[in-house]
Amino acid sequence: MTTDATSAISPARRQPRRRAGLSEWSDRHFRWLLVVPAVLLILSLSVYPLVFSLWVSFVNYDFQIPGHAFVGLKNFSMVIFDPVARWSLVLTILLSSANVAIELGLGLALALAMVRSFPGRGLVMSVLIIPLFISPVIVGQAWALLLQRPFGPMNYLLGQILGQEVTIGWLTESPWLYVALIIADVWQWTPFMFVILLAGLTAIPPNLYEAAELDGVDGWQAFRLITLPQLAPIIMLAITFRLLDAVRLFDTIFIMTAGGPGTKTYTSSFYLYTVGFTQFHLSQATAGSWIFLILTALLVGLLVRRLVKSEPA
Amino acid sequence: MTQTPATRPGIRHRRRRRPSVGRFVFLGLFMFFVLAPIYWMFVTSIKPSDDYLAIPPVWFPAEPTTVHYTAALFAYRGLQGIVNSLVVSLAATVLSVAVGTAMAYSLARFNTGGKHLSFWVLSQRFLPPIAVVLPIFLIYRSVGLHDTRLGLIIAYTVFTLPVSVWMMLAYFRSMPRSMEDAALVDGCTQWQAFWQVAVPLAAPGIVAAAVFAFIACWTEFFFALVLTSRTAFTLPTVFRAFLGFQGAQYGEASALAIVSLAPSIALGVLAQRHLVRGLTLGAVRG
Repeated sequence: MTTDATSAISPARRQPRRRAGLSEWSDRHFRWLLVVPAVLLILSLSVYPLVFSLWVSFVNYDFQIPGHAFVGLKNFSMVIFDPVARWSLVLTILLSSANVAIELGLGLALALAMVRSFPGRGLVMSVLIIPLFISPVIVGQAWALLLQRPFGPMNYLLGQILGQEVTIGWLTESPWLYVALIIADVWQWTPFMFVILLAGLTAIPPNLYEAAELDGVDGWQAFRLITLPQLAPIIMLAITFRLLDAVRLFDTIFIMTAGGPGTKTYTSSFYLYTVGFTQFHLSQATAGSWIFLILTALLVGLLVRRLVKSEPA
Repeated sequence: MTQTPATRPGIRHRRRRRPSVGRFVFLGLFMFFVLAPIYWMFVTSIKPSDDYLAIPPVWFPAEPTTVHYTAALFAYRGLQGIVNSLVVSLAATVLSVAVGTAMAYSLARFNTGGKHLSFWVLSQRFLPPIAVVLPIFLIYRSVGLHDTRLGLIIAYTVFTLPVSVWMMLAYFRSMPRSMEDAALVDGCTQWQAFWQVAVPLAAPGIVAAAVFAFIACWTEFFFALVLTSRTAFTLPTVFRAFLGFQGAQYGEASALAIVSLAPSIALGVLAQRHLVRGLTLGAVRG
């Protein structure tokens, strides 16, 4: 009686469905079948490579030499006792904390400035989030263009403002190249902090401020006593997400300084990339990657545990 | 102590007045900071090469030119990079969102695997790419996936999966399940309730997840740098060609940058309503 009607929501379909064993089986295991593709993908391209790389890090993996000899902890010790590796880790920590701190400050200021509506707010919003949608490679390229020594406009503008010639080598001289890398990162990721903190600010119930106003609390006190505590969980979340991305810093360095001069701007990711793909010490690089992974995991554990704790209900 | 009641009448004025001027100056300066690099890139892309080195800098060229665009697209194989980027990003987006939506539905409606499974997926988001890219490179070399679009599609699908799963998980959780329940009562299979009821209802969330997956793939550099070389290279990796020759190819690099950033900015600004959920994997509602 049922000619497979297109309307799926028809009680008449109940009978024919029973007969098909396969469809009944798939329906019974429905929830697992939905999960399987994603789990298989992650297993094959994340878990399996990690296990494989653990093996690589204990052998001497070389395309030229057949038979990968077991070398124990040698690859790990080569990384640990490499001064460049240690410097890159220090620089990674310094740069990522500086980046995240500045982005948090600026992002919070932007969010406070944007929280109340004003004419043109939508347009300003659209402009402010633009950097989030640009490839970090292009961000690096854009800032390199602006900062390039003889002819980038930055030195010229600074010279005009200060009234004397400015010849800062933004991409080659020691303190300035860190400033340049921080500027590029802050440019790209301040909007990230801003957008999340703005969502947090909007969610604070306005009656808290009204009550405070009646109690005679002034603007700064209201910020300290209401805004910051209410915002704390969101700030924590924003820092967690941002910091875990910030420690990967690679793209802008690749474009702006290529790690140089010398190894002055090597971050951990850049160091491991260089060891693995320009020197082709694959085993040493995977050993280093495992060390970096463990350090990141510790950071994740620390931050995410706090995050779960500070979550309001 | 006693001062609190005394000041009460005057408060309302004090709170409203102060911030406005400083607020707009700050916003204005920050907008300048955001737009300046993009403007400079655009101007450089249409400048005749002679204008690069001029001091004072040429703020807008007297005779704009498009030669850098043609050079970037053809001489530097930017066009092939665009085609590769489009194919890889679109395919990975479709796969990631399809697989991710399926998993998210199961997690949201059946709590499959409890907290462990969903947090295991989330933890993938925090995995540093450098830790997996080396072994993936070695594996790809041995199975012939190195420098193929397929290899990059699989890699991008996996690395955008946590965001797709968690965005959709948040979406399904915010969606009432009564429609699916009604469908089940009416004799639908679980599959039909999912495919014909839940998925259409979740369409806005799926579109948002797709936009963010696409932008992530379109702007990705690191995996593409390692996993491709001469044939499957994507748009961001084309910029390698301009390194080491600083100065000579400013125009080409800028032209390519403008071509590359236009679509992702357009998409991102259109989808900005979902931005907060996208950035926080659904943890914060916009």
